[in-house]
Amino acid sequence: MAHLLEVRDLKKHFAGRLGLFAGSAKKTVRAVDGVSFTVDQGETLGLVGESGCGKSTLVKTLLYLEVPTSGEVYFDGQRLTEKEAMRLRRRAQIVFQDPYTSLPPRMRVGDIIADPLLIHRLADRRSVRERVNQLLEDVGLQPETADQYPHQLSGGMRQRVGIARALSVQPALVVADEAVSALDASVQSQILNLFKDLQGHLDLTYIFVSHDLGVAKYMSHRIAVMYLGEIVELAATEELYAHPLNPYTRALLSAIPSIHRDGRERIRLEGEPPDPANPPPGCKFHPRCPIAQKICAQEAPQLKEWLPGRYVACHFALDSDPAARGGLVSGA
Amino acid sequence: MLRYSLRRTAQMVVVVFGVVTLVFFILRLASGDPARMMNPPGQQEEIIQLTREKIGTDRPLMVQYWDYLLGLPQGDLGKSFHGGHPVLGELLKVFPNTAMLAVATILFSSTVAILLGIGAALRANGAFDRLVLVYVSVALATPSFWLAIVLVLIFSVHFDWLPAIDMEGPKSFVLPVLTLAVMLTPVLIRTVRQSFLETLSEDHIRAARARGIPEHRVILVHGLKVAALPLVTLIGLQLGMILAGSYVVEFIFNWPGIGKLTLDAVAGRDFPMVQGGVLVAALAFVIVNFVVDLAYAALDPRIRMSAK
Amino acid sequence: MTDLATAGISPEAVAASAPARTHILRQLLKRRTFVIGAAGLTIIVLIALAAPFLAPHDPMTQDLGKGLAPPFWAKGGSLDHPLGTDTLGRDVASRLMYGARNSLVIALFAVLIASVLGLVAGLSAGFSRGWWDPLLMRFGDVQLAFPFILLAIAILGVISDRSAVHLILVLGIPTWILYARVVRSRVLAERDKDYVLGAKSIGASRMRQMWRYILPSVWSAVLVIAMLDFGFVILLEATLSFLGFGLTPPTPSWGSILAEGKRNMIISPWLAVLPGLAIMLTVLAINMTADGAADVLDPKLKISVFRRTPLKKPANATWTDLEGRAAASTRSQPVATKDEMGPPTLLEVSDLSVEFPLPDKVVKAVRHVSFDVHRGRTLGIVGESGSGKSVSAFSIIQLIEPPGRVTSGEVLFEGRDLTRISNYDMAQLRGIKIGMIFQNPASSLNPVLSIGSQMVETIRLHLKVSPAEARDIGSQALLNVGIGNPQAILSRYPFQLSGGMNQRVMIAMAMLTRPDLLIADEPSSALDVTTQAVVLERLREITREHQTSLILITHDIALVAEFADEILVMYAGQVCEVGPVRSVIDDARHPYTRALLQSVPRAEIESGKRLQAIPGEPPDPAELPPGCPFADRCVSVMGICRQVNPSQVRVRPHHDVACHLWSSDKDEEKV
Repeated sequence: MAHLLEVRDLKKHFAGRLGLFAGSAKKTVRAVDGVSFTVDQGETLGLVGESGCGKSTLVKTLLYLEVPTSGEVYFDGQRLTEKEAMRLRRRAQIVFQDPYTSLPPRMRVGDIIADPLLIHRLADRRSVRERVNQLLEDVGLQPETADQYPHQLSGGMRQRVGIARALSVQPALVVADEAVSALDASVQSQILNLFKDLQGHLDLTYIFVSHDLGVAKYMSHRIAVMYLGEIVELAATEELYAHPLNPYTRALLSAIPSIHRDGRERIRLEGEPPDPANPPPGCKFHPRCPIAQKICAQEAPQLKEWLPGRYVACHFALDSDPAARGGLVSGA
Repeated sequence: MLRYSLRRTAQMVVVVFGVVTLVFFILRLASGDPARMMNPPGQQEEIIQLTREKIGTDRPLMVQYWDYLLGLPQGDLGKSFHGGHPVLGELLKVFPNTAMLAVATILFSSTVAILLGIGAALRANGAFDRLVLVYVSVALATPSFWLAIVLVLIFSVHFDWLPAIDMEGPKSFVLPVLTLAVMLTPVLIRTVRQSFLETLSEDHIRAARARGIPEHRVILVHGLKVAALPLVTLIGLQLGMILAGSYVVEFIFNWPGIGKLTLDAVAGRDFPMVQGGVLVAALAFVIVNFVVDLAYAALDPRIRMSAK
Repeated sequence: MTDLATAGISPEAVAASAPARTHILRQLLKRRTFVIGAAGLTIIVLIALAAPFLAPHDPMTQDLGKGLAPPFWAKGGSLDHPLGTDTLGRDVASRLMYGARNSLVIALFAVLIASVLGLVAGLSAGFSRGWWDPLLMRFGDVQLAFPFILLAIAILGVISDRSAVHLILVLGIPTWILYARVVRSRVLAERDKDYVLGAKSIGASRMRQMWRYILPSVWSAVLVIAMLDFGFVILLEATLSFLGFGLTPPTPSWGSILAEGKRNMIISPWLAVLPGLAIMLTVLAINMTADGAADVLDPKLKISVFRRTPLKKPANATWTDLEGRAAASTRSQPVATKDEMGPPTLLEVSDLSVEFPLPDKVVKAVRHVSFDVHRGRTLGIVGESGSGKSVSAFSIIQLIEPPGRVTSGEVLFEGRDLTRISNYDMAQLRGIKIGMIFQNPASSLNPVLSIGSQMVETIRLHLKVSPAEARDIGSQALLNVGIGNPQAILSRYPFQLSGGMNQRVMIAMAMLTRPDLLIADEPSSALDVTTQAVVLERLREITREHQTSLILITHDIALVAEFADEILVMYAGQVCEVGPVRSVIDDARHPYTRALLQSVPRAEIESGKRLQAIPGEPPDPAELPPGCPFADRCVSVMGICRQVNPSQVRVRPHHDVACHLWSSDKDEEKV
């Protein structure tokens, strides 16, 4: 069966802006620098990484909300182009992070949710109200909400409205770009469960972007870890958290504060997070990597399938964690 | 830095060029025949034609325009229709008078605005603040020419403390500067106050207090340094307002400046003089704003150092 | 379809309020400036409209014998001509009324033209990505550089018979730029927001994005500017007719009457003063209307002279309205004192309450909170937004700005009550014995001063050293927080450093004086997870090294579990549970704490297990229900919970809970 979404070597570069007193050098920010992966129907791919890793830019680019600099995106097996973006808009939708700026402030909730239906002619003015009420119910809101304005709703409710809007066109793929990051802890899990329930009922496919590794683990079947515009590891969730193969992934996982202190040693990353406009040569992580060797500064590692279903971009993927090697079918 | 300056200079040239062109054509297209106006009514056609030739309006429009443009870089702004004196000379004669008025006004208004604005901001919604804001409202609504007349009525006619017209001695500066100041200060005070209020509510002010920095230092050093930045642009703003207001003020007080010169020229259809006056005003506006922008960029380290 | 209880909302949470449209009118009427201004304006408009009926005489009728008669209150005046006559004997009052008509009509149409032109120009410029925007803006620059009044005079001066239409066009068309600039900048600002991207993602065309999504946010700004422009145009028109370029006489206009007055200033001053007064009052009424409306329609414009929302004053205000100690403290038993085992108490907060009175409601941010901080230990305060955790911390060192105020309780530090000491005494403690670091490191440092100058300033505040020595001390302090190249950092500005670096600088500055207590308000929330780990570990090391007590405020319970010795859980301004970290985490008693532990997705939770989400939403701190604030969302709620707010009860050594499930006797009256 064809993948629902396939991304091949996608790149998105931004031209640097000249400061007032800056020199003549132009700086290009390579926000997404060669990313490839696939997503299958019904699964959730988690996309994790810290600020500047490019995950937000990546999802905006693959949805053609930003035009890619190079690379290809295939949806339903067909290659996407800018001209065909409308076709994509019916099949793929996005839910944004900030409940305060992601809904138009001067439109009523009902109109916000109805607009995509009207644009794609999925309902006319008379039947749209019914559809809107149905969608509100699907996301756990009362029908009276349709008459209200976003500023009258709480953060959690606004996110539900955003989800309802995304669902209105009955998409196959929904991208959640840090969709719960701005919500209170006690509300986050409500929305996460809502996402899960909707996935079950509507056979949705998710790309779940999050900087929170706990959230990503809860939601995702597979997880891709990004660093400075590239995927450095991609694996099934369980495997990734139990046996991370990329040193960055390991540092990331060990940095999470844990409720049950078990005296494990935390990997301390030295140095500063890098500047996306000025990436280091070779492996972008090598200046901060605890196991960096000479080759790391010279040659950038490619994302390779070191073990079945386990993609890692590192010259020493298996060397660093002997436990991963033993007991598994060698496929390297 | 250099690139920015070059770019801005190019923009300035374009703007001034646009202004000059605009005024050139508006005058000639909207206006009647200046030659006719300069002659008594009922004058013979031949004499009028002679006048035309003398002042040069007999030539095709585009020729006049081209001629004018060519003369500009050489400093030749044409000759006045009335009397034939070089426009540049006349302008330079009266320019210092307006300049002095402008400088005095800017100094006075800035001082008043800063004191009142900061004072109002420090006790926002207090009695002083409300008083200041009432002043701002009333001053904004006051017609400048009316204020000038009222001031003259009180201080010159009734009390005879200050001269009503002409520029003679420091006392004669008082009423014109006061009139202009009432025009300028409302906007300035509001901007100062706003800037200060915003700055004082920023995180770093609270953090400075938390570090134990005494209150007076928090306001006067930390607060002022950040709030003062946008105020630099006020100087450019003031100049614009003074230029606009100078026509009326110089008219009422019979002040021998560029404004009066230009007004008289408009009434007399003295095109080159009007063009000259407009050119000077536009140049002053554009140059001062450029300098102000540079100063702002130099003072704010976020702009000065940004290579990101 | 979805399980409403798990994922859902209680019906009460959906406020069924009236649509926002009538709201606007009601809000406008609440503002005094708007009401006064609008009333004045209405009167003036009515007078102008009714001029044919109200005017005592025909404005054009001359009566050469009665030229320059004074108004009725002066000698020689009569009620026949209540405001006097002009040189040609025409009645001034009548001419003023008819003049009002002309001024108002001209201004109205000029504003209409300008606003439409400006709106279209601004929208198209803000939305364009090509050459249209720069072209329009350059054209605008040219226009702005050309003194407007001269432009008007140049054109009007050559028209022999100036009618209202001429004036409308000359005053209206060039003013487009005023609107265009503001509209353009608003469009640019909105264009970057997520909701516009959202519109794009649902397939809206650019036209639709502009029309349905951006325009509604923009037109209110246009309305406000139009109102202000209205007054501006009236002034301009008056100026033009004063200079002789307005409506051709004998049509009455305020400016020309004034001009006549000027000519005869000495003999008939009223002729000069009265029209000016008319102009001023009209424009003042307009401006006041605009001010009042601006606050309601478009607060972002910041035009409003009289602001409605209370502004912050510097914290040199003294405490007002300190109530006496609360009748019953929320403590049921005394917490660890010097006599008991364990470290001595450094800070003792008892029954602290803080509220923020706003124009239409009172926000009760902190309600009767009590906790202790022990010497050398870390207390973690955990809560969501609205829990009052940050406000509690700020109030310890009197950083709450008016209108916020402490309404009850005491904060004992080294035997002194911090809520009652003078500003001067507080200033001796702040930054010296009690330090604080904040959530957003970049904005907590002065952006235009270098790191070095800020550190030196702090150092020299407390130590008598030269600037050079101070720099050395600063350098050393930076090394201590793990910054390897201190000299370079000292000469940088905050915007040049990363979040992690800035936060470490803040820690270094706070620790300079070796404070007894350090308060850290969400120190790592703005940082990446790897940076967070480094910063917090460094913080732990440095506080351990100097035996500094730490109050760590965060929304992340895992953080507190790892870095704190004691934990305090807050909800809706109250204490839910407090105690040693392991006791609270492993044996949480309060339903909120338990729910929190079960509902936050953590990396340690096994896959496949479903989170127990907490239904409902945190309450509005301005509208708190009676009884326990968590009652609506609590799985173990009982009848008493909605009526009586539980007070703290000791359930284990040093472990307190405020919950009726654990109250020893159910008929406690303590609140």
